[in-house]
Amino acid sequence: MRQSKRNMNVLAYVILILGALLILFPMYITVITTFKTSGESASSFFTLPRSFYLGNYQTVLQNPTLWYAYGNTIYITLFSLVLELLVMPPMSFALSRGIFHNSKMFKGLYFFFLLGIFLPFQVRMMPLVKLQSALNMMNPTGMVLLYLAHATCESMFLYVGYLASISPSLEEAAYIDGATTFQTFYKIILPLMKPILATVMIREGLAIWNDYMLPLLCLNRSNTMWTLTLFQYNFQSEFNVDYNLAFSCLVIASLPIIVLYCFMQKQIIGGLTNGAVKG
Amino acid sequence: MTAVPRKKARQHTMRREQAIAYTIMTLPGLVLYCVFLILPILMGLYYSLTDWTGIGNKFNFIGLDNYIKVFTNDKRFGNALVFNLRYTVYLVIGIVVIGFMLAMLLNREMKGRSFFRTLYFMPAVLSMITIGLVFKQVYFYVLPSIGKAVGSATFSENIIANRQLAIYGILFVHLWQGVALPTLLFLSGLQTIPVDLYEAASIDGANAWHQFKSITVPYILPTLSVVLVLAVKQGLNVFDYINSMTKGGPGGATTSISILIWQNAWERNRFSYAIAQAVITGLIIALISFVQIKYTDRKKVD
Repeated sequence: MRQSKRNMNVLAYVILILGALLILFPMYITVITTFKTSGESASSFFTLPRSFYLGNYQTVLQNPTLWYAYGNTIYITLFSLVLELLVMPPMSFALSRGIFHNSKMFKGLYFFFLLGIFLPFQVRMMPLVKLQSALNMMNPTGMVLLYLAHATCESMFLYVGYLASISPSLEEAAYIDGATTFQTFYKIILPLMKPILATVMIREGLAIWNDYMLPLLCLNRSNTMWTLTLFQYNFQSEFNVDYNLAFSCLVIASLPIIVLYCFMQKQIIGGLTNGAVKG
Repeated sequence: MTAVPRKKARQHTMRREQAIAYTIMTLPGLVLYCVFLILPILMGLYYSLTDWTGIGNKFNFIGLDNYIKVFTNDKRFGNALVFNLRYTVYLVIGIVVIGFMLAMLLNREMKGRSFFRTLYFMPAVLSMITIGLVFKQVYFYVLPSIGKAVGSATFSENIIANRQLAIYGILFVHLWQGVALPTLLFLSGLQTIPVDLYEAASIDGANAWHQFKSITVPYILPTLSVVLVLAVKQGLNVFDYINSMTKGGPGGATTSISILIWQNAWERNRFSYAIAQAVITGLIIALISFVQIKYTDRKKVD
């Protein structure tokens, strides 16, 4: 019995290590290639770089579009998250408690919002571009509004589900003491929502930071509006033959997320898994 | 998916102040939702009944012609649909099998477990476009040189430039990144199983297979349904990987519906026709998710 368990463990290690190599190999190739000149890459693709050549990074870092892309991505992500934090939790609270009070209107609104989860993006995406350009909103600020509108169904669903576990009797006590609904929400309910707020922020933050389709639809026209995903894509189209340069661009663009992951691994994993199960 | 909190707990009536506050709290979201989600859908439905090319302001109302054309006179759409279904089946099988297997392995008591978890989850935080672009280069430069070294004719060439193999090249990348989240979901599902259940079962003489069948599987079913919904949705909507690696080629071999719609709308100036295709696709996806959710909900009741 013990012998077979040990054998199983060895097998588990072998599979896990092979899988790990499979994950690490492309990353290894990507990183070492960035430190080589194209000549060195051509002669020895898989070996560690002989002389840490920094010219690739220099070229990418000197590209002004990279900095626009960083600025735009940070602006869009942060601004969307802040607005979402202001708008969605109170709205979800109102819906949740409206339903609790048996209000037909809020029940109807809840299902109306929920409908959005099932409306396919493809149907929306093309008219969205026409709408945005009619509103003069084909810019990063317009993107913020789009992400915010998106969150009305998905984040709302997570928040309302969580609020169901917070008993309304807590609020009743506050109301008896003469607190208004807004005061009750911000002083009592919002602090209790911290775990779900973290979950939604991590999910939304990553999704917005990494999004490609919406920026491609709305921001591709001018390179001062590009996000990091658009920058990576367009940079690679431009320097397709120079893969040392292309890889350097990918590394620089992914660096913030990888650093963030190293520091907040637990929260990120928790946020993504909780969100997926409830959504 | 139904999380209506406590329908008729008590017959509370709202105070006037509450009703006003709730309405104010809901308004900003409601406006955003109507303007950016509902309005575009209605615009889309309207445009799909016209012959608008997407450029200029002139177009005619042509009724259901676009829809009829999709069904009667569009080989591309049928091909894309077949591609998506094939892709989704492979993707779902891959994600469930690999994800579940990895979760079982990562759930074992062994050294280095947290290191492996950290590593295996890392691809999930990177953007799909980054991964797609990395692998595009890997397929172009790296894999062929390995293929030549080991003397394999198949891998000596760029596999995503090969009509037959391109779909597998893309699937591999999708799985490389896409199993990360399902693995973790399965893992947290496995961790909800009480350990003494297994102990009791082995005292009763149940072998590993029986334990797996009557303890592990029932506990993991709710997670499985979540993973299935996620994977099917990803498979039917796949866009980023294909656009970054093959753009639907070679020769249309990897044209998914999303790619086809994109090309029709922005490259072939068939804007309204593309929307009609999107509406049909949307209905298909909605139908599949509806069946999925209905089926898994019934499973949970049993």
